Amino acid sequence: MSGGGGRRSAWRSGGPLLGLGATWLLFAASAGAPFLTWANHELMLLQTAVVGVAAVGATWIIVAGGIDLAVGSTIAVAGMVGALALRSGLSWPAAAAATTLAGSLVGFVIGALVTGALLRVLLAGGAALVAGWLAQTMGALSAGEAGAGGDLVRWVAVAAGVAAALVAWLASARLRWSLPLSPFIVTLGLWGALRGLAKGLGGNQPVYFPRNDDLAALMLPRTALLPIGVWVMIAVAAVAAFVLRRTVFGRHVQAFGQNREAARLSGIEVVGIERRVYAIGGLCAGVAGVLQLSYLSMGDPTTAQGYELKAIAAAVIGGASLAGGTGSILGTLLGALVMTVVDNGCTKLEFDNWVQDVATGAIIVGAVALDRLRQQRAAAR
Amino acid sequence: MLRALALVAVSSLLAACGSDQPATTDKPVSGDATAAPRVAVIPKGTTHVFWQAVAAGAKDAGARTGLNVVWKGPLQENDRAQQIQLVQQFVSEGVAGIALAPLDHAALAPVVRSAKNSGIPVVIFDSDLDGTPGVDFASFVATDNRAGGELAGQRLAELVGGKGKVVLLRYQVGSASTEAREAGFLAAAKAAGLEVLVDNRYAGATIGEAKNTALNLADHLQQAHGVFCSNESATAGMLQALDQLGLRGKVRFVGFDSSPPLVDGLRDGGIDALVVQDPRKMGELSVQALADLIAKKPVAPKVDTGAVLATKANMDEPAVKRLLQ
Repeated sequence: MSGGGGRRSAWRSGGPLLGLGATWLLFAASAGAPFLTWANHELMLLQTAVVGVAAVGATWIIVAGGIDLAVGSTIAVAGMVGALALRSGLSWPAAAAATTLAGSLVGFVIGALVTGALLRVLLAGGAALVAGWLAQTMGALSAGEAGAGGDLVRWVAVAAGVAAALVAWLASARLRWSLPLSPFIVTLGLWGALRGLAKGLGGNQPVYFPRNDDLAALMLPRTALLPIGVWVMIAVAAVAAFVLRRTVFGRHVQAFGQNREAARLSGIEVVGIERRVYAIGGLCAGVAGVLQLSYLSMGDPTTAQGYELKAIAAAVIGGASLAGGTGSILGTLLGALVMTVVDNGCTKLEFDNWVQDVATGAIIVGAVALDRLRQQRAAAR
Repeated sequence: MLRALALVAVSSLLAACGSDQPATTDKPVSGDATAAPRVAVIPKGTTHVFWQAVAAGAKDAGARTGLNVVWKGPLQENDRAQQIQLVQQFVSEGVAGIALAPLDHAALAPVVRSAKNSGIPVVIFDSDLDGTPGVDFASFVATDNRAGGELAGQRLAELVGGKGKVVLLRYQVGSASTEAREAGFLAAAKAAGLEVLVDNRYAGATIGEAKNTALNLADHLQQAHGVFCSNESATAGMLQALDQLGLRGKVRFVGFDSSPPLVDGLRDGGIDALVVQDPRKMGELSVQALADLIAKKPVAPKVDTGAVLATKANMDEPAVKRLLQ
């Protein structure tokens, strides 16, 4: 959808739709009745929600010519933040907001590093650590005699850290020194660093919080109504598709992804565009983190491993090009569904796990190859 | 016609993937399985030897009790989300019963509740789940892991002569069975007067990760008189690391569970003792419990499958040898 309208976009998702249809048909025919029930389809939609939401963000980044290998780790960090919030007694909407914010913050940092603001990130990070440490120490001193308020102190420290980081970030806005880093390298580093942070947040332990049925309800089947998590995925995708396709900002992102030099020369503020794109990616990962938190009903620092690759695969099956400039949100959701259908169908057919791994890989490559073949034919015509 | 075509397509794809050896572990019991009630047995993972022994026991019991046992684990050994997905899927399919080794005592609890609400009996095996056996789920079939850990701690204390420094390499965060072993070990080691040098390192899910973690502990291992690891992959990774560091046989080493490299280690002195569970019995008793539940017979809320200390001296006795295989 190179700056085009809905028609080209619909055309682009024709391929993924075909791929999804073929995969579905294959398993419908071979697994039969147990695969075909409504409950099973609801389950498949439910089990797509986390990866689907994350993949919407990944599509934005890929359209802008970037990549984010840290999506899974971001989901884990965001989920741990939410779990800690719930453990310290916050309500679930507040915890969900904290989770989403944590994801967005990670995305913002990735964007800042990619666009050359390494020094400003370091300054802000340093300020956050110092302020957080000070608040923690002072809080511990004042609360020490009472012997209580540990969680409260921690939250005050976090708030102080975030505020200090924000101040340092804004204060250093006029810093000219810039060192752009490749998104592949930045997110490869953060892939591990954020995983470590997720483990550190829980003190190397999963974080358990009191049972919360309202939060859990986000990811529970509701038969005819579909789970709330599925609606979240649909809403996120609809907004993302609208902004990408119909707004000036979205068109700029596409133009930037196609040819960043041309975009810069035509007066697009490329640094701001790129930063916002990664922040959007982080926001989506944060929302995915909320859904994963609901699904697990605990904070799991090791969760969502490999989701970055699933998100990228969903985007690519959905017609996105890793060269940038091209991609469709609808296609991405279809791509994510293809992978869920394969997972589900393989279980129904009682395949060995190794067979399922091989089949998933083969279907991903096959689906993309078919789509490219179709495009080649269309272009030759 | 279409169905047949698709079947051919799928099976030829799979045949192309590797037809050299039909996998023995993951297939359902064949035969006239159409009429037999289907039960799902869900381990924490499928690649460890331990789970393969559980599978063998489960299938034996399935054949004996006339159940069609479906064996399916998460693709990644530690993927809680995927294990939840599997349980959900089997619940929505309406299987006759589920035996589950939960990857997390809290994360799997809601989905087990929903299975119970759908009227599907659930037996928990190997690792504990939040809730009360007999109430929230039908039965808990497992090794008494704390006792197993204590057994290991007492033996290690004997081996180092009642005093000295020991290293504990933990398995993975949130895994209830190994945490109970680790707690039992620490209690016994401290009671015997041993100094615990390291007790906060986690080996991770695979042998490779365990080896890396152990190598990173090199300086501690060089000071240590004894080492304990709480599961098969951690023990195997530690054994390789000790080998690489030139400490094999020099540090007293007690492991947990068994696999061919660990048995070799026991024989050549690299490992002094292994606490072995009876995974085969665990699989058998879990499926037996499901069969009883389906037949509306009463089932004990807790079933202990036992743990034994295997050493070079007793490893060839039939009763121990069976557990080492």
